Amino acid sequence: MTQSPRKPSGSLSASFVARVGLMAALALIFSYVEAIIPYNPGIPGIKLGIANVVTVIALYKFGARDAVCVSIIRIVIAGLLFNGLFGMLYSLAGAAVSLAGMTLLKNTGLFSVAGVSMAAGVLHNLGQLLVAAALIEDLRIFFYFPVLLFSGIAAGILVGIISTLVLKSLR
Amino acid sequence: MKQYIRKADIILLAVLVAIGLASTAVLALRGDDSGSKVVIKSGGEVFATYPLSEDRTIEVPAPGGISYDSPRPHAADEDDECTQYTYYNVVKISGGSVTVSSASCRNQVCVRHGSISKAGESIVCLPNRLVVSIEGSKGGSYDSVTS
Repeated sequence: MTQSPRKPSGSLSASFVARVGLMAALALIFSYVEAIIPYNPGIPGIKLGIANVVTVIALYKFGARDAVCVSIIRIVIAGLLFNGLFGMLYSLAGAAVSLAGMTLLKNTGLFSVAGVSMAAGVLHNLGQLLVAAALIEDLRIFFYFPVLLFSGIAAGILVGIISTLVLKSLR
Repeated sequence: MKQYIRKADIILLAVLVAIGLASTAVLALRGDDSGSKVVIKSGGEVFATYPLSEDRTIEVPAPGGISYDSPRPHAADEDDECTQYTYYNVVKISGGSVTVSSASCRNQVCVRHGSISKAGESIVCLPNRLVVSIEGSKGGSYDSVTS
């Protein structure tokens, strides 16, 4: 595993803060770029999620703690800037579920980056769907599940491939 | 990263695709019977129930205005603009099918969803927390799951 040497525990080291801040800023820019690209697949709720490339790289290069911190910072700021409060809620739920899944799958050591990212894409969408179902208090929203599942697979694989290539160059 | 694609990845992909296909099939196979009741839920509570056979237009207020940043600017070309509320969905029952003909939400997904006419079908507007669904007279197993 490619874990960078880290301070034993607890206190936030300067390098951790700097690193996470840098990656959060990068992820935020990706969020922004994706928000302004005028592409519309015609189906609501579907997007590539390029910012997740940063999350995947943070997870693989620096570990789960970095990935979680980068995600939370990115989502909260992106929510305040352009996604709105409810967008933030959906994203946080998706990120929580997908980060948990990614960490588990990565630790099994069986999956490649693309595989882990694919699962994360699906889990992310599932988390959002659960929030939607809770908000409208009606499980009928799950008629949308297959669409989100397949789009999650596709987006996850794409993010995984990009992440693989970037990780290779970062070596 | 020894390999870009591993065996476990393929298995995972196959499992996910299988789940997707299975759920698609389940959703496609659910009751084909024509429904009789239109149930409108807003903010998690049943707002009203109407017979599908009677034509009418219902203006449904959305619970609060917090669910999105700002309502959509009112479009001039809308015939069905709601007059009563700032946050709303206009639900139209006509000729045995149901549409959301206009809504205050920004994404307009519910309006573009088109019409529904069979039991078990539904239109959802997430920003306004609205669910319009058609239920059959029998009340089959699907209803008991969701009720």
